[in-house]
Amino acid sequence: MGVNKQNCRNELRTAIQQLNDRCLYSASKWAAEQLVGIEQDPTKYPPSHTRLQRDSSSILRRFHCTDEITSTPIAGTSYVSTPVLEEDNGDVDSDLYVLAKSYFNCREYRRAAHVLSDQTGSKALFLKCYALYLAGEKRKEEETIELEGSLGESNTVNSEIVSIERDLAAVRKNGSIDSFGLYLYGLVLKAKGNENLARTILVESVNAYPWNWTAWLTLQSLCTTIDTLNGLKLHNHWMKDFFLASTYHELRMHNESLAKYDYLQSTFGSSNYIKAQIAKAQYSLRDFENVEVVFEELLRIDPYRIDDMDMYSNVLYAKECFSGLSYLAHQVFLTDKYRPESCCIIGNYYSLKGLHEKSVMYFKRALKLDKNYLSAWTLMGHEYVEMKNTPAAVDAYRRAVDINPCDYRAWYGLGQAYEMMGMPYYALHYFKKSVFLQPGDSRLWIAMAQCYERDEIRMHEEAIKCYRRAASCNDREAIALHRLAKLHSELGQNQEAAFYYKKDLERMEEEEREGPNMVEALLFLATYCRAQERYEEAEVYCTRLLDYNGPEKEKAKSLLQAVKLAQSGFP
Amino acid sequence: MAGMVKGQSGGFVMTPHKVSICILLQVYAPSGQLSVPYPFDSISQHNRLGLFLIALTKSCDDILEPTLDEFLKLLKEFGVLYNWLTDHVTGRLSSLSSPDDLFTFFSELRGILAGLETSIIDDDQINLDPNSNLGMYLRRCMLAFNTLSFEGTCHLLTNIKTYCKEVFSPYEMSHLDDASNDPEAPLEYENMDLENIVLQNFTEELESRKRSNERVPFHNHSSKALFSLVEDITVSPGQKVKRNHRSQMQTQPPSVESSDVRTNWQIQGYMSEQADMIEKLGSSFPMSAFESVLKLLQKVAPELHRVHFLRYLNSLYHDDYSAALENLSRYFDYSAGMEGSDFVPPLSCMNNGRYEIALLTLGMTHFHFGHPKLALKVLTEAVRVCQMHSDDTCLAYTLTAICNLLSEVGISNITGIMGASDSHVSTSMSVQQQLFLLLRRTLKRADSLKLKRLVASNQLALAKFDLKHVQRPLLSFGPKASIQLRTSPTNVCKKLRLSSQLIHQFDNESSVVTIDGALSTSWLKNQRKPTTTLVFPPESGPESNRDTFYSWLQSSSVPGSVLQLVGSSYLVSATSWELYGSASLAQSNALLFANCFADSSSSADLALAYGKLIQHLAVYKGYKEAFAALKIAEAKFLSVSKSGILPVKLQLLHERALHRGHLKLAQQICDELGVLASSVTGVDMEIKTEASLRRARTLLAANQFSEAASVAHSLFCKCYKFNMHVENATVLLFLAEIHKRSGNGVLGIPYALASLSFCESFNLDLLRAAATLTLAELWLLLGPRHAKRALNLIHSAFPIILGQGGLELQSRAHIAEAKCYLSDSSISVSEDPDIVVDSLRQACEGLEALEYHEMAAEAYYLMAIVLDKSGQMEQREEAAARFKQHITALENPIKPEDPLVNLL
Repeated sequence: MGVNKQNCRNELRTAIQQLNDRCLYSASKWAAEQLVGIEQDPTKYPPSHTRLQRDSSSILRRFHCTDEITSTPIAGTSYVSTPVLEEDNGDVDSDLYVLAKSYFNCREYRRAAHVLSDQTGSKALFLKCYALYLAGEKRKEEETIELEGSLGESNTVNSEIVSIERDLAAVRKNGSIDSFGLYLYGLVLKAKGNENLARTILVESVNAYPWNWTAWLTLQSLCTTIDTLNGLKLHNHWMKDFFLASTYHELRMHNESLAKYDYLQSTFGSSNYIKAQIAKAQYSLRDFENVEVVFEELLRIDPYRIDDMDMYSNVLYAKECFSGLSYLAHQVFLTDKYRPESCCIIGNYYSLKGLHEKSVMYFKRALKLDKNYLSAWTLMGHEYVEMKNTPAAVDAYRRAVDINPCDYRAWYGLGQAYEMMGMPYYALHYFKKSVFLQPGDSRLWIAMAQCYERDEIRMHEEAIKCYRRAASCNDREAIALHRLAKLHSELGQNQEAAFYYKKDLERMEEEEREGPNMVEALLFLATYCRAQERYEEAEVYCTRLLDYNGPEKEKAKSLLQAVKLAQSGFP
Repeated sequence: MAGMVKGQSGGFVMTPHKVSICILLQVYAPSGQLSVPYPFDSISQHNRLGLFLIALTKSCDDILEPTLDEFLKLLKEFGVLYNWLTDHVTGRLSSLSSPDDLFTFFSELRGILAGLETSIIDDDQINLDPNSNLGMYLRRCMLAFNTLSFEGTCHLLTNIKTYCKEVFSPYEMSHLDDASNDPEAPLEYENMDLENIVLQNFTEELESRKRSNERVPFHNHSSKALFSLVEDITVSPGQKVKRNHRSQMQTQPPSVESSDVRTNWQIQGYMSEQADMIEKLGSSFPMSAFESVLKLLQKVAPELHRVHFLRYLNSLYHDDYSAALENLSRYFDYSAGMEGSDFVPPLSCMNNGRYEIALLTLGMTHFHFGHPKLALKVLTEAVRVCQMHSDDTCLAYTLTAICNLLSEVGISNITGIMGASDSHVSTSMSVQQQLFLLLRRTLKRADSLKLKRLVASNQLALAKFDLKHVQRPLLSFGPKASIQLRTSPTNVCKKLRLSSQLIHQFDNESSVVTIDGALSTSWLKNQRKPTTTLVFPPESGPESNRDTFYSWLQSSSVPGSVLQLVGSSYLVSATSWELYGSASLAQSNALLFANCFADSSSSADLALAYGKLIQHLAVYKGYKEAFAALKIAEAKFLSVSKSGILPVKLQLLHERALHRGHLKLAQQICDELGVLASSVTGVDMEIKTEASLRRARTLLAANQFSEAASVAHSLFCKCYKFNMHVENATVLLFLAEIHKRSGNGVLGIPYALASLSFCESFNLDLLRAAATLTLAELWLLLGPRHAKRALNLIHSAFPIILGQGGLELQSRAHIAEAKCYLSDSSISVSEDPDIVVDSLRQACEGLEALEYHEMAAEAYYLMAIVLDKSGQMEQREEAAARFKQHITALENPIKPEDPLVNLL
């Protein structure tokens, strides 16, 4: 194993304390979760210690069939050991620091900053600037609401940023900045839009102090392409693996991301965070079964968890699991109803019940809480489509796309909306975008093909190309093959049509499906084979057709007769 | 959408600038004072302040309010009591230090309004009438203040503080340094006001362009237009003093003004103004500078979707295909076509959106980028959607767009594109017939919908169609006797007249339709309308005369789009006269356009008009004058390389190189022209045919007859395929010319005759004269027996050639005439040399102006022979010497120190 568990544990323990000391609570929360997530040796500890880890082995077994393979190559990498930070504890100042921290904990940020205004230690400086930053953020939020005008003005800025930046830049220049200061500096630079410098600074920060997960997350938000990611000069610390796994997911490299998480799970075997992340990746790969298992597991261990639960609700929605979804909605509602995720889950529930107005209301609430909440925009668009309010749907989808131009669902939704309005040609532009982003999804290809097939434009050649793509990427509902065969036969390309009918037939046999498609395929093939003078094959198809009732049966009979006649006529 | 609906209510927002106006108002009308209040010396001083205040209040809807610094400058220009007023305003502003101060200030203001109920009007007391201009303004301010929440008051207070701070510490350069260090980073939030960004970026762009391209000079006109763009933003209201913009821009410190967004109304006005500007200036509009303004606007006002439309326009005119498409779809996704388009009547169908407009726009975008087939597909879909939503207006516009597309882009076959679903055209007819039908139906539709502009533009399109197409009866049965297969110039003329009638309709209308906030800025614009620079050679007309004569054209009651339309009708009529062979009428129409519609038309149209005028000069006056004019024209356009001037220049250079015998150079120029016609920037059939015709001519000049003929043949085929019959007449004539040059008269005659018949059916009189001349020359080639016939032909063409023909044509005619006389045995030249010598002399003059060595040599040669026969030895020697001169010039095309060569 690449990571020594005990070392890891020690590092994390120190880090949690240091992060807490600097009021970086979410980073410390994350670190603590990972600390508990390191698998204990069950022989050494009584079961009460592992309460939060129980049953994790069952998930492990499910997903760790590939464990050996993926972990071996990476296991050879040697990690740098980053020395744990020495604390500067001046006795006199520490009293003031404690006071400031208490203020900070009571959310009196300016007061906290004021207490530390004369302090010079890097710890004090960081807390001062951080408090100021948060004060500015809070004021910004308030101002956004105060100034909300007709045009949705949002030019409110964090007014503290300039002074914080000036202070931090000065400290950095004389070299006395610590890694936390660098993190804050990076944050401020990002807010100002100076992304390149922000990236450099953040890399410096995480290299000096890798356990600050929020710094990694900020860095991640600045890595929008794989090239920028590869261009980062990061030290080889095990935290980097977490970072890479998460960033790969953002860059839609789901398999790479899964491999990384698998590897990490060898150390952090019972980390809920990793489990949820694995579920996320699998969700993107549309592996709903596994996702559901993981989330059931997670909810059992950590029943009050809200993070990522919106995704679970999506899975339940897709599986049309009414009771499960309502249970989940009830749970999160009781836990914290003013979380965007909670609203989204409730919205999903109502949507499943077909109460679209109510659903929209909850999505709107979710968006009020977080207006950059991507999936809520998209889901709201879906609801509007259901309500036949296409302009509103288009608006919602477009907002999703503007937040993240890689959201193929929203592009697809846009296409669908325009198709509904009878503008298939215009819709194609959007379908193309969505297909470009998610070329492996047969549903998108089929949607685009159907758009090409529309009466208004009738671009059958293009439709065939799309269906072909759909058929080649695991078309679950098996629409593509049938449509391909049909289109080819409509275009008079009988050979191709026969090929696809045959394929479709084979597939139907495999999946033991019956239905009108089967009859159609058999009839075509029988006729085709007779025309090709492949009488024996034709006979087989005809006899199979005889099993079905309806006009086809009669047709099959007459065909059979003709075949027999032809066979006897020309020995 | 929701944001837009909300928008109209909160129109008037309190700003620091308005507070300072209120302070001045208080000075103007202090409550309970006597007739001349304290600081004023006389009533006239007092009145002047009043007028000044009225001017200020009228411009309160402008997009950007002046900073305190600018405001104080204005006060200074106003002059009276400057120091006292400045001190008072700044003192009063800085004394506002708590919200309560603001409350007291506004309650004091209430006192200066005369109460409505106090009917006793004391003459000595100054009270503002609540219904007067200033009174209304004051009341609006007070209302706006009273509706503010406490937070709003606090914001006003902080805004006032920043507003004042800027004056007291104007040179806080640190922010500027910071921003200029990193051009990638968005500008500092602190100086986030539009004007500085525009100014900075604009000057930067200006300077960099200047540095990078010395050959593209910045001349008054274009830069003035651009500066006026800046001016719209920076120049403070009521100000008529001309300033040196550039120096001002460089010295102006970054003003740290609070960056509150102005009202919806103001921004809409600003944006429609900018949109007009983009459309007018085309690619010479400063792209990146404006883009950054738009980005800022978008950030500041995310619900203002029109920004996306402007971004679309901006990228459209700078040939950024993907950005244009992206912004277009974004705009329509957000606005659903409900916002900002001029022709949308606020009718029912509110919930459905008007996405057909998106299709229409998308179609025109594809058209702009030269994808006619895509455009047609999109437009057909637009037609269908329009019909589905029964949106007649949009349908009319869409059909017009289709007509434009069909007529301007050569599409040989539209079956399969238009599809069977389109009921407007049946597929059995040729493209031209379909187009004609479509045009007529569109016209009718537009007429019934009372869309005046559309009617005019349809009439224009019909005129263009009539100009170049012979109308065949659509039914092929019945008596055919009365069919006259000719174009009808009277129809063209009539339609052109009708379309320019439009202006009278708009002139007569008293109610002016203004869109959004256009009016709020137009008040100021009229105040400082620059005296428009005269576009073409200043000596061509006294400026003042024109200004008074056409001032009605520029009165703001006629919308710009109408002016543009009327302008293009003049341009079309210039072209029509060019074709019909009346040089003088063509020139006068082009001149009219260039003079009267330069301000309202797009730069592309203007370039076209200039091009026509320059070519006219080249043909009738020789190259020297043409190039002088070209220089003037080039100076007027910001980037020559993108404007329509470049092809004209290349044509001129090519012509000249051919005449002087610089074949290599000619070939090089030809290639350049070919590049212009490449399909990268969309297919322009006109330039394409022009380029290949010139290629053939170059080959002919190099005596490569068969190559020239094959190029001409393929050109003929292309023209035939795309129904370009007018061009075909030229090509046929050129083929005849090739045979003439190769000495094969018999083969040439059929081509000349064919060309003649084409000319006749299209009424191309001048070309017909030229064809007749060529025919005569061909006859002459067949031997002296045919001299008489040739002479007759020449004489029949003479009236038009001498009246309308260019120098080259005239000289050719003269030479041909002389040749006829010389070869005609019945006429003895030695007895009466004058009949020949006179015309030869004229030919020589013309050809020397054209520097056409080859023909000049021929003329002098003939002259020498005639003079020799008639025994005028001295003159003969002279003619011979000139002959030799031209021959050597032709044979040794020495690289002269020709300044024009490096024009390339």
